[in-house]
Amino acid sequence: MTIASSQTIKDRALNLLHQMIGEDKDFRPGQWEAIEAVAIKKQRALVVQRTGWGKSLVYFLATKLLREHGSGPTILISPLLSLMRNQIEMAGRIGIRAFTINSANKEEWAAIEEALAKDECDLMLISPERLNNDHFLKEVLPQISGRIGLFVVDEAHCISDWGHDFRPDYRRIVRIVQMLPKGIPVLGTTATANDRVVKDVQAQLGPELTVHRGPLARESLRLQNIRLSNQSERLAWLVENLPKFKGSGIIYCLTVADTERVTGWLKQKGFSAEAYHAGDDGNMDRPALEQAFLNNEIKILVATVALGMGFDKPDIDFVIHFQRPGSVVAYYQQVGRAGRAVEKSYGVLLSGAEDDEIQNYFIESAFPSTQVFLDILQELEKSEGLSLYEILARVNTSKSMAEKALKLLEVDGAVGQTFDKKVLYFRTPNPWVPETDRINRVLDLRRSELAQMQAYVDHPDCLMKFLLEALDDPNPVPCGRCVNCQGKGFSASVPHELVIEAENYLKGTQVLIQPRKQWPVGLFPDQKRNIPFELQNATGRSLCYYGDAGWGKIVQIGKYREGHFPDELVNAASHLILDLWKPEPFPAWVTSIPSNRHPNLVPDFTARLAQSLGIPFHPVFRRTSEAPEQKTMQNSTMQARNVVGTISIDPQIPSGAVLLVDDIIDSGWTLTMAGYLLKVNGSGPVYPFTLAQAAGRNTNG
Amino acid sequence: MTISPDSQAILLLCSHIGLLSNSEYSSLTLKEWNPLARKLQSISMRPGDLLGLTSEEIQNQLEINLEEAERYYHLLQRSGSLAIELERLASLGIHVLTRADQEYPTRYRQRLKESAPAVLFYAGEKALLGQPGIAVVGSRHLDEAGKACAEFVGNSCGLSGLVLYSGGAKGVDTISMKAALTSRGTAVGILADSLEKSIRNPENRAAIGRGDLCLVTPYSPSAPFSVGTAMGRNKLIYTLADYAIVVASDAEKGGTWAGATETLRAKWIPIFVLDHPNMPEGNKLLIQKGALPFPHPFPEHHLKLKIWLEEQSAKIKPDPRQPSLF
Repeated sequence: MTIASSQTIKDRALNLLHQMIGEDKDFRPGQWEAIEAVAIKKQRALVVQRTGWGKSLVYFLATKLLREHGSGPTILISPLLSLMRNQIEMAGRIGIRAFTINSANKEEWAAIEEALAKDECDLMLISPERLNNDHFLKEVLPQISGRIGLFVVDEAHCISDWGHDFRPDYRRIVRIVQMLPKGIPVLGTTATANDRVVKDVQAQLGPELTVHRGPLARESLRLQNIRLSNQSERLAWLVENLPKFKGSGIIYCLTVADTERVTGWLKQKGFSAEAYHAGDDGNMDRPALEQAFLNNEIKILVATVALGMGFDKPDIDFVIHFQRPGSVVAYYQQVGRAGRAVEKSYGVLLSGAEDDEIQNYFIESAFPSTQVFLDILQELEKSEGLSLYEILARVNTSKSMAEKALKLLEVDGAVGQTFDKKVLYFRTPNPWVPETDRINRVLDLRRSELAQMQAYVDHPDCLMKFLLEALDDPNPVPCGRCVNCQGKGFSASVPHELVIEAENYLKGTQVLIQPRKQWPVGLFPDQKRNIPFELQNATGRSLCYYGDAGWGKIVQIGKYREGHFPDELVNAASHLILDLWKPEPFPAWVTSIPSNRHPNLVPDFTARLAQSLGIPFHPVFRRTSEAPEQKTMQNSTMQARNVVGTISIDPQIPSGAVLLVDDIIDSGWTLTMAGYLLKVNGSGPVYPFTLAQAAGRNTNG
Repeated sequence: MTISPDSQAILLLCSHIGLLSNSEYSSLTLKEWNPLARKLQSISMRPGDLLGLTSEEIQNQLEINLEEAERYYHLLQRSGSLAIELERLASLGIHVLTRADQEYPTRYRQRLKESAPAVLFYAGEKALLGQPGIAVVGSRHLDEAGKACAEFVGNSCGLSGLVLYSGGAKGVDTISMKAALTSRGTAVGILADSLEKSIRNPENRAAIGRGDLCLVTPYSPSAPFSVGTAMGRNKLIYTLADYAIVVASDAEKGGTWAGATETLRAKWIPIFVLDHPNMPEGNKLLIQKGALPFPHPFPEHHLKLKIWLEEQSAKIKPDPRQPSLF
């Protein structure tokens, strides 16, 4: 390191700051101290500051200073690479050459590796998953001249089990940091870490970790909680109150389906709103949406947690939550988006009846059960390696659970991956014990965080102070601005007509059933997987999501309590088919999926529906054997196996287009197989119709 | 799991971990490391002291030319990549031993001295390395007698608590190792290649899990097979054991021949050769050169194997060796 005094280095740093963000700017309290800690003292530091304080400034300036004094490049590990575009541009202003390697920019790899070899890379951004990648570890990483100048872990709270956002890849990061030689400075940054999380991070990264904390309160933010049980009431509230905000804002929802519903409603009512989430199989152009929102071309972004932590728009007027988040940390992070550079901003939390059910679903599905871990290991132990699909064919669990389990097993060293021609998972010699204690601790923590949010929603005193105390802010004081401090805020009442309109909207949204085009792997090993086009179903419809507001609850009650679906549902189905869907050519006859378990439920409904539509009902299917209920089968291959050979069709069936009816669609294999049999035996187009679609598909952001 | 500074330095200087295939600087061979190790010892420095020095400082303290100092300096710079690669290996169950580690096999130090590999990669129970045992080696070409012998020795080792040392190759090695493990014994495979791949084999994995097997190699864990590595590691098999039994050897060529003749010259351990009417030419020649005949079928009860080998080899005494420090 150099002989220059600390003061001259600080001057240089200030100089660089001016170049980056403006001549009139200065260090925020704590920024220089953090830069000094890593760039000059070469320490390990954890910076806990609210979003927008400028944590990225710290590692950019530190990188520049270190590079000017001959250090190697910085490695920055962050899960939010897509949101760093603006910041990378900013870093370019002081000459920082930043590169990222991810699966989306393969064409650039050769050029990047060349830059690395020539030591022309100052900052290398990688996602935590990339530390798993063979090519990266063997060929790219060693290029960083073999010398790492600074190691930065963004969103460092992910290291902590106790954190709300536990990510197994971060365990690997911890092990790497533990193996780094002492002289390499390490910087962790986070906006969300209460004392327990900080202690945990310290325990893992080493007790010599210095912690730099700042105050969390937001001066301009005005908080309020409103309880409105039904989604229709909350939709009405939005329409009633959104015009009161001059600028732009975010509406947070818990599920993808909800963001689409809210967005559709707002658009219908003439608002400039777009949905933002991680569902949709990558058809959504999220960077374009972010940019349009930043440019105020869109006024309202209706988003799930996919709108992540690093996103920074300074002029957000309001953050409204359509449903209650699961923890104070998550809520604070999301509502804290508002009010960076505006004088008055609003954070309104609307909570409703479905919140607890959704949060409990998230908690229960957070971790695979011990049985799933053991089953996967057992299968892997018998072989030299299995692909994900081979595992799914042998273990009864869903794809997402299997992927979670494999990720956790991998991070714990019980399972490894090879990248020969396809990805294979194999068992390593390392021993493995189920971590039920650890998992239960995390689940208990999540339940207590949920309880804390339930308390927050009903809290009679200063709401900001409640949040600050929950986050272990060093100095929590009443804000004087929230609805409880001021004694006034938005009204919770909504005009009745608007509520009715919202109800109708919810009932009218068409839920599609996309036809399956391929059989699952391993079902018919001697045949091609593709289902010939002429044997596929047409796109079908469901009346609603099972258990949801509107029809969903009525279907649930009908199936499990009454054993009978009311005429209300027949009329709604009929209306949907005749007036909204209008399939072309219109079905000439109707049939239904048989069940040994509830033999009359669906045929009875279907007969009434057929009458309402004016076409004949012909029950042509039969169950040949008792199969376990479809919903207890967890993945595609298991489900399809369940179906094959359990239904049979009459040899003589009517010709012409046919409406194929069932009460609830889950995996869709029964409808696929039934449709296939109809087509093979000479029917016209097959239109699936079900009363409900099961939740649990694409419910997370 | 932390690595001592000395081991770190040895790994950085002498192994390819974290080193690019097209790197300007190559790792030190044993021939290059040994003089450096001696130099360090003579000026009371440890390998770990080299970490963090500039090339000028290295040049001055070691009194070497700048080019050499720069090479060391650049090799020592990649500790970050080393850390990451070691973590990756550990998550696969592969660990490292260097000559600086206390747990480095004593027998290698004693018998090979400066020819002991600077770095070893292993998976499984490292405590097995150097425990009393018998090395079984042989070429791939086996006849019935050879197979039976390999099985017999493996089995006996298993039943009498001796370690079965072998090279992990197809043929004699795998037959004897399998026999040892099946009879609830222990085995050590000194591999010429593909350690990473070998531990994916379900049988190996199960044995490692029971603590019955150690697979070790001085080469990179992902190294592919080459004749050079196969030959180079043969002495590492002999020097861990108390006795060696050569099941089948070619005459005047091949890895088995080379390893056996080397052992006869170096006198590390008594070496026996399978002796039966149709034995290969190489076996005959080895016996002529001084190897002891190992009869087939074995005349005594299998539990008497060790005693029999002891008695037979009382005719030859191996030389004591001075251990080297690092």
